[in-house]
Amino acid sequence: MLRFMIRRALSLIPTVFLIITFAFVIIRIAPGGPFASEKQLPPEILANIEKRYHLDESLPRQYVRYLGDFVRGDLGPSFRYKDFTVGELIADALPPSMLIGSLALLIAVTGGIGAGVLSALRQNSWIDYAAMSLAVIGISIPVFVTGPVLKLFLALKHPWLPTSGWLGGRGGWLVLVMPVLTLALPYLAGIARLTRASVLEVLRADYIRTARAKGLSERVVVLRHVLKGALLPVLSYLGPAFAGIITGTVVVETIFAVPGMGRLSVQAAINRDYTLIMGDVIVFSVILVAANFVVDLCYGFLDPRISYS
Amino acid sequence: MTGSPIDPQDPLADAFSRALRPVSPWADAWRRLRRNRMALAGLAVIGLYALFTLAAPLLPIHPYAEQVVAHENLPPSLRPAGELMLAARTAYLLRFRAAEGRLEFNAEERQELADMARAIRTDPVHRRHYWLGTDNLGRDMMSRLLFGGRISILIGLVGTVTSMFLGVLLGSIAGYAGGTLDNLIMRFVDILYGLPYMLLVIIMMALFGRNILNLFVAVALISWLTLCRVVRGQVISLKHAEFVEAARAMGASPARIIFRHLTPNTLGVIVVFSTLMVPQFIMTESFLSFLGLGVSAPLASWGSLVAEGAGVMSIYPWQLLGPAVAMTVFLFAMNFLGDGLRDALDPQSRRRG
Repeated sequence: MLRFMIRRALSLIPTVFLIITFAFVIIRIAPGGPFASEKQLPPEILANIEKRYHLDESLPRQYVRYLGDFVRGDLGPSFRYKDFTVGELIADALPPSMLIGSLALLIAVTGGIGAGVLSALRQNSWIDYAAMSLAVIGISIPVFVTGPVLKLFLALKHPWLPTSGWLGGRGGWLVLVMPVLTLALPYLAGIARLTRASVLEVLRADYIRTARAKGLSERVVVLRHVLKGALLPVLSYLGPAFAGIITGTVVVETIFAVPGMGRLSVQAAINRDYTLIMGDVIVFSVILVAANFVVDLCYGFLDPRISYS
Repeated sequence: MTGSPIDPQDPLADAFSRALRPVSPWADAWRRLRRNRMALAGLAVIGLYALFTLAAPLLPIHPYAEQVVAHENLPPSLRPAGELMLAARTAYLLRFRAAEGRLEFNAEERQELADMARAIRTDPVHRRHYWLGTDNLGRDMMSRLLFGGRISILIGLVGTVTSMFLGVLLGSIAGYAGGTLDNLIMRFVDILYGLPYMLLVIIMMALFGRNILNLFVAVALISWLTLCRVVRGQVISLKHAEFVEAARAMGASPARIIFRHLTPNTLGVIVVFSTLMVPQFIMTESFLSFLGLGVSAPLASWGSLVAEGAGVMSIYPWQLLGPAVAMTVFLFAMNFLGDGLRDALDPQSRRRG
């Protein structure tokens, strides 16, 4: 098991390396540099700036220099925010995004599994129909529609929640409610549907009949036997869900003015802030790759048929 | 043909063979789909959308980019624009009057309203109807919705076509060939999966400029990954089937086996996945347009309309709700149809039908 984990973890290194290369290439072949959009600079000054950021070197040398700095944990200075390094900017922006993302994931997983199991156990009841109709709605409505509509009704028409901002403002922790709900909704719905389908399938399995025949109480059957088998598909959905939540934060942070990674990345892309874009891509990729790795490992714990030898 | 155990003239045998008439899997699936009301409703809604957006240039609606400044921010109504304009101006002047504590309009205001009323009577442009209201530049929301729908649906189609082409091609080759080629293709897919795709698309759009072509490329880039995996899985499970052995024994080339025998057998999965992925593509585009990285003005898409509407939603809510509802209904219909198709085409779910 340990050997498998180590081997798997090592195989992630080339992936991350490829991602860096990909981002580096795509950014450098794009027309226009970070200083091209500003008013016409005298060529000497431009040359000076380029020298300072090593943009005058050949592409391979820039690439090697970047990789070397990266290994030492240095992501370079930001091109746009001149007094900050990329590391500092990301260190400021990461916690809000992590907080919103993990709360949303938590709500999506607990709420989704709960609703899914309930629907399956009461198949074809009104609870089932109501939950599954809501789930289709949740899947169909894009985040950037839910966000503004929630804001319109919960913050502007009725002053129940603060419209935007972040912790430390006047709204207190209530500022978290709308971003987290907006972000969680589609994944809550997706997990609920998936859970329902897979619980229904497991309920028909022979080993469930055996468990019932042994005289186990319904509680134990559901909690210990059904759930364990039914959660596998849900688990494999978590990888893509995680990626989706990362993507969703970009929109949610834009709508609710959260000072997080999403907003930082969009701004960096628009400003052509090369080093900051690279830093964002790398941080997001590492999180994503790590999440998929954890999901893979969890598989082994839930499904005895998978062995890691 | 003597010796056949069944005499075609025998009425009993005829009824027997009619009862056992072979049904093609597609006819069978269609029969099951027809019984699924929600899926049929979805299909009908999609048909209507397709019809109206395709026919948008032929419909008697105002051009989507035409700005009538006098008609800005009119609410949805069945009444002609002139009336709404006059009503809005009168209401504004009344509030103004009340604020100043006057009981009557002064001469200037009376003159203004009379001038406006005359202009409305003489200028045919004020006889226009805006069933869904107008935006802040006096453009017809309905026209913008329909033309925006064209872009959004087109993106969905482009994604589907590329994913069918690339995904099916690479997936079936990887599945059939196995070994190194399979490893190579699937590692590539894995890596693309591991990328924070949306971020890369945002970067691409920001760096290479926002135009429709880049938007198409961005959507097409990853559209095929899921389908590639699914088709590969299907092909692997089928490639040792007897009909494939038979084809090989008859000397069929690998290309022929893949495209004549294996791919058609995965068509069901392909159809289901494509239907379920169209909403994803449309959302990707809208997402970019929402961030201001998608289509550029005066062109519209559902996403850019939602974004514009979200900015003014507290004063002119119809500018948000119109596109939001139009888009949600379409995505809804796609999801219902996709679910219905899955139930109809998935052999495992047949006992439910």
